[in-house]
Order: sequence, then C-alpha cells, then structure tokens
Amino acid sequence: MEIPEQLYYTEDHEWGEMVEDGMMRVGITDYAQHELGDIVFVELVEVGTVVAKGDPIGTVESVKAVSEIYAPVDGEVFKVNGALTDTPELVNQDCYGEAWMVVLKVNDPAQVDTLMDARAYQAYVEAEAK
Amino acid sequence: MRTPLYHEHEKLGARIVDFHGWEMPVWYTGIREEHLAVRNSAGLFDASHMGEIRVGGKESVPFLNRILTRDIPAMPKNRVLYSFFLNEQGGIIDDLTVYCVEPGEAYMLCVNASNTENDLRWVIGQNREGAVIEDRSAETALIALQGPDAARIFKDYLDFDPDTLKNYTFTVLATVQYCDIMISKTGYTGAGGVEIFLPSEKAPGLWSSLVEQGARPCGLGARDTLRLEMGYPLHGNDIDETTTPIEAGLNFAVDLDKPGFIGLEALKRQSGQGVSRRLRGLVLKERGVPRQGFVCMKNGQKVGAVTSGSVSPILGTGIALAYLDKSVEENDEVEIVVRDRHLKSTVVRPPFVRAAGK
Repeated sequence: MEIPEQLYYTEDHEWGEMVEDGMMRVGITDYAQHELGDIVFVELVEVGTVVAKGDPIGTVESVKAVSEIYAPVDGEVFKVNGALTDTPELVNQDCYGEAWMVVLKVNDPAQVDTLMDARAYQAYVEAEAK
Repeated sequence: MRTPLYHEHEKLGARIVDFHGWEMPVWYTGIREEHLAVRNSAGLFDASHMGEIRVGGKESVPFLNRILTRDIPAMPKNRVLYSFFLNEQGGIIDDLTVYCVEPGEAYMLCVNASNTENDLRWVIGQNREGAVIEDRSAETALIALQGPDAARIFKDYLDFDPDTLKNYTFTVLATVQYCDIMISKTGYTGAGGVEIFLPSEKAPGLWSSLVEQGARPCGLGARDTLRLEMGYPLHGNDIDETTTPIEAGLNFAVDLDKPGFIGLEALKRQSGQGVSRRLRGLVLKERGVPRQGFVCMKNGQKVGAVTSGSVSPILGTGIALAYLDKSVEENDEVEIVVRDRHLKSTVVRPPFVRAAGK
C-alpha cells in the first residue's frame, strides 16, 4: 500500500497536500480506494462551497459501497476535479495524482498540523486492518 | 462456514466477506476485471456454498411434482430445470435447479446457500409421500466455469467437450483425478459455460488446475453484476416469500396446467386477475448507482422500488431491477431517487446485455 511521505492524512482516509499559498489538494488514499474496490461514480461539491473540517465534500461509489469524502480542514472549495465525473476509475488508477478531488483554500494553516503524517497514518491503517 | 475452496481463495489473495454466514470471496483483483473476464474469456466461481438435496425412491416423482412448479414426470434423464418452492400464497420460498439423475428414482435439487437450511426443513416437512431425502451439501462442491472460453479450457484439461451438451442438460464424467463429476450446461452469468459438481475433497485440485489453464478466479461481486446484466433474479433481493413468479415475470418456470402443486391456486388466481406490480428492468440515463431500496417515481407518484442495482461493466451505465406498478410500461421513463437526486431511467425488458450465443 502506497502512503506518500509528503502528504497529510485523516482518519477517514483522505489525503491532503499543501500546494501553494494556503491551498490544499485533497483526495482519498490508496487504502481507501483498495477497500472500496472498483469506483463507478464520483460526485463532488461545487466550487465556492464553504466547509468545516469533517463536512462532506463529495461522494465516491464503488460497485459494492457508497462512501462520503470529508474536508480534512476548514476552508473553501477552490477547484474540483471534473474529470472524475466521466472517468471515476481514475480513483483506482492514480488516487494520489490525477484523481485528486478538490482543492481547498485553507482557513487556518495551524489546523493542517493536527492531521496525521505518513508514519502516523501507516500505523493507523495497520491498527484498523486488525 | 467455509467451502472446501476457502484456502484456495486465501492463497489467491481474495477479499473475503460474510455471505449469509459463509466466508466467501467478493473479489480477487477487482469486480470489473473479473466481470469482463467472464464476458470475454473465462472465469471461475466457487459456488460450493449452495445446497444440494438428493430426493430418491419410488415416491420421489409424486412428491417433487407436488412441491415444484415444473412437470417432473416428463423430465428425461440428465435434464435440468429451473423451478421454485412456493408457499400457499404463491410466494417464492426459494428458486432452484432440478437435476434428473435417474427418471422416477433419483433427483438432485440445487438451492441457494442462504436458504439451504430453511429449504431442507420445509422439504422434509412436506414429505408425506415418503420420498428419501438426503442433504448432500457438505460433501458436494460446486465450481462454475463460465465464459466463451470455458468449454475449450474444460476440454483441454479433461478431454471432454461440454459443447456436446445441450443447454440445461448434464452428464456424469468419470475422471481419474476427481472421481465422478457432474458437468451441467448451466450458469448464472449468461456467458455460457458449465457448472461442475464434485466431491468436496476433490474441489481444490480441480479449482487450481482450471486456474492454471487460464480461467480467472471470480468472486461474488462479479457473480452479482453478471447475473444482474442478464436480469436473473437473486432470491432475497428480487424474489422472496412475498413475491410470486408471475410478478417476477418468471412464468416460464411455472407449469400452470400441471395439477396440484403448492401455490398453484394462488398463481392461477393472480394470473386470472392480473398482477398489481411487475419486476422490470431500468436503465439509467444519467450517471449514478441505483441500489436496493431506492424509490421509483413517475409523474410525482411513487410507483415502486429497486430490488437490485449496480453499474453494468459492459454498458457503463446504472442498471436495476425494480417492482413497478402495473400502470408502468416498457419504454416509459421512471425516476430513481438516488439520495437527494431524481435520476431519469428507461423501463426495459431484461437482459440488459445480450446472452452469449443468442
């Protein structure tokens, strides 16, 4: 299972990557896409939506399951990845790259530090798998 | 509970889930890949969790003819029929396949895993004729080899061409490695192929050999999307004790001219009066995934609910089976309520995907 070093992680298996000027790119982790199986549908909130940490920012559906995606931190949705509407399978193929889901304009940079780093997330996933 | 193939699934790295008390593979690498393998080449399924009930003796024919919806005395040797156990109201206790092993003397019933115990209790309770009933579920494994390359793979390995069998017939093949195996030209995928009954202890050997020969292991996930593409009902989802074969559009498996089977009077009544709802196919015109329980609307009125739904890997669109009010007709537009969205769909007659060889 792939857990890139430079990313932040949530307990709901989202990843966040600080890109530029207080912007965070958000997606779901390799563990999450693997647990869900073949993704057949992705729906994301609209650009401009203001969200608090833990608010839903989208829905991912596989053949077998429906899963909400939650905002890792407070912010405003700055961009959404429209490509996922037509090619939801990208989430299985490249969850940390092309299948990013939204870009959030982060309200409080200090909140980012409360997220898990790669090592903590690795331990979290291992504990959950037991 | 585990099938005799459980350790094979583990070795192959399957994702195991609970299926009515059975630890079964839901997928190995992914539902979509496995689904496409069955449509395009060949897939292998463990269906050993299903129940096998032997019914024998001179009384087997009158007994089975009373508890089943098909004409049992007319079954020739090696014929297979799809049929039902019905309650007095015509509700479906289970759907099953009947195998005529020896006309007038020996039959095998293959029933759903989730219903085996209940079926067995019911069958024994109904047996006033005195037929000999035997549960062979534990010692019998069932492997389904399905897809356009299934026959070739089987022939290359066991030197018997299943394509010499007609659909819905079977034969018993004596093999050195696996003893007597029963090869049935049936399946639950619409992709062609065979279902193989064999002694449980022989199953791992046949399974791993067929995998080596190129059949792709497939889990219950693909089994479900494949059957749904064909519009085959799943007991517990699309049919149950509250629905009848007439409502489900399964009249072909009910012989209404046959006297005296359980449920006949109710079905005749329903057949005469007409049904208030029917199981229909729905194809989504928008993106989304219909799922069991989702409400169907037409002109602002609730007209039914989805019983099975998924995204068809072949069509790339959402498909569903749903009981819809009798006023709804083929080609009508019906909305499926997917959470807060109303998605447009068209009423169709399944199969959603054409069966192999048709």
